[in-house]
Amino acid sequence: MLRFWIVLASATILCGQARTAADLAAFDQVWSTVRDTHWEKTTPGGLDWNAMRTEYRPRVEAAKTTAEARAVTQEMLRRLKQTHFGIVPGFTYESLAEEGGSGTTGIDVRVLDGQVVVTSVDPGSPAEHAGVHPGWVVRSVNGKALTVPDLPELALTRAMLARLSGPVGGSIEVVFDAATLKLSLTVGRGTLAEFGNLPATRVWYEERRIGATAYVGFNVFMDIPHLIPSFEKTIQSCKPCDGLIIDLRGNPGGIGGMAMGMAGFLVDKANQRLGTMFMRDATLNFVINPRAEVFTGPVAFLLDGTSASTSEIFAGGLQDLGRARVFGTRSAAAALPSVFTTLPNGDGFQYAIANYISQGGKALEGAGVTPDEEVKLTREGLLNGHDAVIEAALAWIEKVKK
Amino acid sequence: MTRRLAIVVMLASVSAFGAELPSAESLLDRFVQVSGGKQAFASRKSEIARGTVEMAAMGVKGSLVRYSAAPGQSLLEMEIAGIGKFLTGSKDDVAWDQSDLMGPRIKAGLERAEALRESKFNATAAWRELYPKVVTTGEESVSGEDCYKVSMTPTEGPAETMYLSKKTGLAMKMAATASTQMGDVDAEILFLDYKEFGGILTPTKSVERTAGQEMVITIESIEINPDIPASKFDPPAGVAALLAKLAR
Repeated sequence: MLRFWIVLASATILCGQARTAADLAAFDQVWSTVRDTHWEKTTPGGLDWNAMRTEYRPRVEAAKTTAEARAVTQEMLRRLKQTHFGIVPGFTYESLAEEGGSGTTGIDVRVLDGQVVVTSVDPGSPAEHAGVHPGWVVRSVNGKALTVPDLPELALTRAMLARLSGPVGGSIEVVFDAATLKLSLTVGRGTLAEFGNLPATRVWYEERRIGATAYVGFNVFMDIPHLIPSFEKTIQSCKPCDGLIIDLRGNPGGIGGMAMGMAGFLVDKANQRLGTMFMRDATLNFVINPRAEVFTGPVAFLLDGTSASTSEIFAGGLQDLGRARVFGTRSAAAALPSVFTTLPNGDGFQYAIANYISQGGKALEGAGVTPDEEVKLTREGLLNGHDAVIEAALAWIEKVKK
Repeated sequence: MTRRLAIVVMLASVSAFGAELPSAESLLDRFVQVSGGKQAFASRKSEIARGTVEMAAMGVKGSLVRYSAAPGQSLLEMEIAGIGKFLTGSKDDVAWDQSDLMGPRIKAGLERAEALRESKFNATAAWRELYPKVVTTGEESVSGEDCYKVSMTPTEGPAETMYLSKKTGLAMKMAATASTQMGDVDAEILFLDYKEFGGILTPTKSVERTAGQEMVITIESIEINPDIPASKFDPPAGVAALLAKLAR
């Protein structure tokens, strides 16, 4: 299962019959893939799938540009009302590979009480160098006021972060409540990792100690050869730790198997599972292999509405097993296992292939992971250097440590 | 996976379709014969196969090296970009795997039995030892080629179905329910592009379909009877640590 940020943008315009044929072939592949792989065999998403083809194919054929054809196909997929179905424009691969379309200032934001608030600033980033501080409110970007649409937190945060990004090497002018700054756009934190047909993604892993508690965070479940050994190193160095905090706020998921692999460092009992994936032709258990060295102390997960997919599978499964306690706010509820392929017109196509039920018996799609302790960030706390969610987790660890 | 490359078949005793179907034993013996014959298999004691693995639909590619030696030692090393290393092996009744993703693991139950069966060296020629019951169950076309279907039941585990070409006698396909730690999954493997290595015909391409995904394994070379140190088949440190933990 692969989870990835879907980037939508204007289209590569190709002319003539060749484009139309490629776009039609792309549509046909999308339509038939859903027909052949969706776990609801006869009526995917409760829809008459043959009727969908009759309705949408002529519109793709009549589309004047690839962008238009793509939008029609996207509209059909949206009718499923399920996450993890989407198209990535072909040019996105090139722009990401060239590091040209993913420039960032190093600011992370969330909408708190109707305001776009800086929640963290990446170390070494242009924003840090410019003195941006958590708790600042973003008023406008490049002269345009930052209005807050009524969207789920995951989509809303992505939309706000998109406003704060642009081509690498460029810059944006940001009006904060505390200052107006021109911030340069850089490639961002981490190293570029590739996996199959997915666009290349920057992956970072952070580990630090807060007193006697280990804190780890990472931005996406990818780059197995580096991320899992990093986690293993944390576990090995954490034998005397009071507890472990795993911060998955902002983590959209990634390679689903990594949840199983990482859980093996936290569960010492054999034959445990995080949940079950129900595909059309198979039922697969997300099993946990206890490692030779396992951290047995208290484990706290930090989630919010931008924690999706593998993040939910990992945290939700260990919560269900009674192995971890979850702090923060409800997760994104977007947890369908999916795969990623390429289409005849060069676009990428992500499609869900299964439903996923967490070990406690609940479908994470649509419901998400409910925290054991709901804790919301506040602007005042951030301004004073406090992360209320981390502090709640630390307080719990202090209480239950041996 | 590559296990299936080596699996071969068994005796038929009673045909459900009547006397016109050849016995499973004769079909499996023919497969051994057309593959190179008992003598050719007997002269082979070890091998190293090198090749590639690809899940084209997802753009995932990697390399593989498979070491095997008589009587039943095996080690498969795969490395896939973005996923990392995957090792699986068998030695002295211990079957294990270890990956960057899932860590080390000792196989148990049916999965272990399957792994040990697959690690049997020259399994094609040893079908009588591996499958106590074989039956010809029918005919079916595979990739446009008429085949006999032979059901092979191992000592442990469910029956597997081998499709043997009427024309060449070679295995064209295998269908089985594989026991994995994530659950039982139906799998189908097509055997393609047979080539001769050390006097034995071996499929150099196998297409495995399971759980809606397709994986293609291509064998590029096979070294016959190389010297492989016995230690090559020892479980890696992570697996050894687990074995030690289990023994405590």
